[in-house]
Amino acid sequence: MTIVSGKAEARRRLQPATSDVLRKMWEHRADYAYVLPAIAVMLIVIAYPIYYTIELSFFNTPPGLQLRDKIFVGFNNYTAILTSGVFWQVTFNTLIWTAASTFISFVLGFAAALALHRDFIGRGILRAILIIPWVISAVAASYIWKWIYHSDFGIIGAVLVELGWATRPPNFIDSVSTVLPSLIVVNIWREFPFAMIMMTAGLQTVPEQLLRAAKVDGANAWQRFWHVTFPHLRNVSTVTILLLAVANFNSFIIPWIMTGGGPSNASHIWITHIYELAFGRQRWGVASAYSVLLFIILMTLGYFYVRALSGNERKDGSA
Amino acid sequence: MSTVSETISRGQPARRLRIDGWRWGGRAFLVFMLLYTALPMIWMLLTSIKSGFAAMQFPPQWWPDQPTLASYQKLLDPQNSVGQDFLRFFWNSLIVSTATTILSVIVAVPAAYAFSRFTFPGRNFLFFAVLLRNMFPAVIFLVPLFILMRAIGLVNTHGSLVLTYLTFGLPLAIWLLKGFYDNIPVQLEQAARIDGATRFQAFILIVMPLSAPGIIATAIYSFIGAWNEYIYAYTFLSKNEQLTLPVGIQRFFSENTTDFPGLMAASFMMSVPVVVLFLLLQRYFVRALTEGAVKH
Repeated sequence: MTIVSGKAEARRRLQPATSDVLRKMWEHRADYAYVLPAIAVMLIVIAYPIYYTIELSFFNTPPGLQLRDKIFVGFNNYTAILTSGVFWQVTFNTLIWTAASTFISFVLGFAAALALHRDFIGRGILRAILIIPWVISAVAASYIWKWIYHSDFGIIGAVLVELGWATRPPNFIDSVSTVLPSLIVVNIWREFPFAMIMMTAGLQTVPEQLLRAAKVDGANAWQRFWHVTFPHLRNVSTVTILLLAVANFNSFIIPWIMTGGGPSNASHIWITHIYELAFGRQRWGVASAYSVLLFIILMTLGYFYVRALSGNERKDGSA
Repeated sequence: MSTVSETISRGQPARRLRIDGWRWGGRAFLVFMLLYTALPMIWMLLTSIKSGFAAMQFPPQWWPDQPTLASYQKLLDPQNSVGQDFLRFFWNSLIVSTATTILSVIVAVPAAYAFSRFTFPGRNFLFFAVLLRNMFPAVIFLVPLFILMRAIGLVNTHGSLVLTYLTFGLPLAIWLLKGFYDNIPVQLEQAARIDGATRFQAFILIVMPLSAPGIIATAIYSFIGAWNEYIYAYTFLSKNEQLTLPVGIQRFFSENTTDFPGLMAASFMMSVPVVVLFLLLQRYFVRALTEGAVKH
């Protein structure tokens, strides 16, 4: 008896809550119209593919992608990945690629933003030139650098020979040991301007009075940077680093165009490997399983991304 | 008295020296970055005005002996097949990028406004769901989207590209614009509404003009993203007459593997529109980031 009445009590307490949400949603029904187009596009292009990728990862689908003939294989695709030697090599490449590109791009971009913070003649032009690599197409960048690294007629090899540092032009992207660093140099060339733009924008929000006060108190340039400027930029830095890390983790064009993952997988990273599995070897199931693993990793990163952003939100709300 | 002036005179040169050290370090660093950034682009330009024979020499001609614009003439000549292809790819890229830009502004502006102004249930969830799109690479969505596009008959159309490109630009666009709307006082709109404007009129007449830099930044970002996109175009399009520039250039290269001057000229011309656009409007972009995204 008491239990039943307790349940009823609970239901009574619950019901107003749900109808409250519904009522609120109904009251705000016009507001949803504003977000609806954005959400609709996102649903079609994101939610549906995520669902489908998960489904495909449990099936073997014939090369021609005839969906009716797919066979359920359980977790076979996943075990096939984790037991293959290529997987660990590609993962290792991806880690190096992502960490090195992100760290160096951020440091160079941040330093460039700091060096360009003080006004001088030609600052605008210099800043504009430094941004150009970020704007031009990665395909164009890949071909420019492919030509620079060319094993017979590349300019870097020629300079090294002219200077007497090498007897013949080195193979930059055709050799297993140098290919990944060479591609990272290209990637940094394209990515550091993004960090520079973000940090430039961030620097403009550092209050001038604080820096002047620190100067009056006798802080030197390094102390002013470390104790005033840098703490103020913590949020921008976090967001920039996360965005860079995600972009690098997801990069495809530079390795794909410059080397296609070779020689002998030395420049394959996850994304190029997945692409090759899917559209090259048409192993749709394994490629989808790879995508799902990637998805899980990215969701973890995404959690930190959202936390960094909602840190901003909270401050915004209290201000 | 004398001790005070002594300490000042002793202290000052030391401090100036240290600041100068930082300043000279900064200058040296900037010179290094300038070389790193500009030399590859200069080499692209120098190669593009060489003949195919002159480009393939060792040691290279550091400065072209006989500069020629032949590669550019070839690419821009509607009479020969290379020129026809290049101009068509250029036109395709222009159409796809423009359509994407217009649509993303139309979709992002109201969404960002709603996320900034309204407090409907699920607002935060939807906002972060939109932002999370940034996290995922194109490749994850490629297979299912290919199936989807095949099912709705969009494979080999520019529509498939516009639809997918929309979603790249949207997260950052919405985030930037939301920051802008957060900074525009609600009182301005309220005043307009007291004067008899509807919510929509207040939005168009008051909020839109004030957020113009944000909208311009959003538009640039979408345009550049669409112009440079490669992987979807590479997968969804197979007919030669529909290719966009990045894929078209790759095809050009696979057919003429030794024509580096032509390739460099094509890379240069492909970069010109976005670089010019960005340089003209970059102050809006930095301002949008400062006022929109970073200021908190």
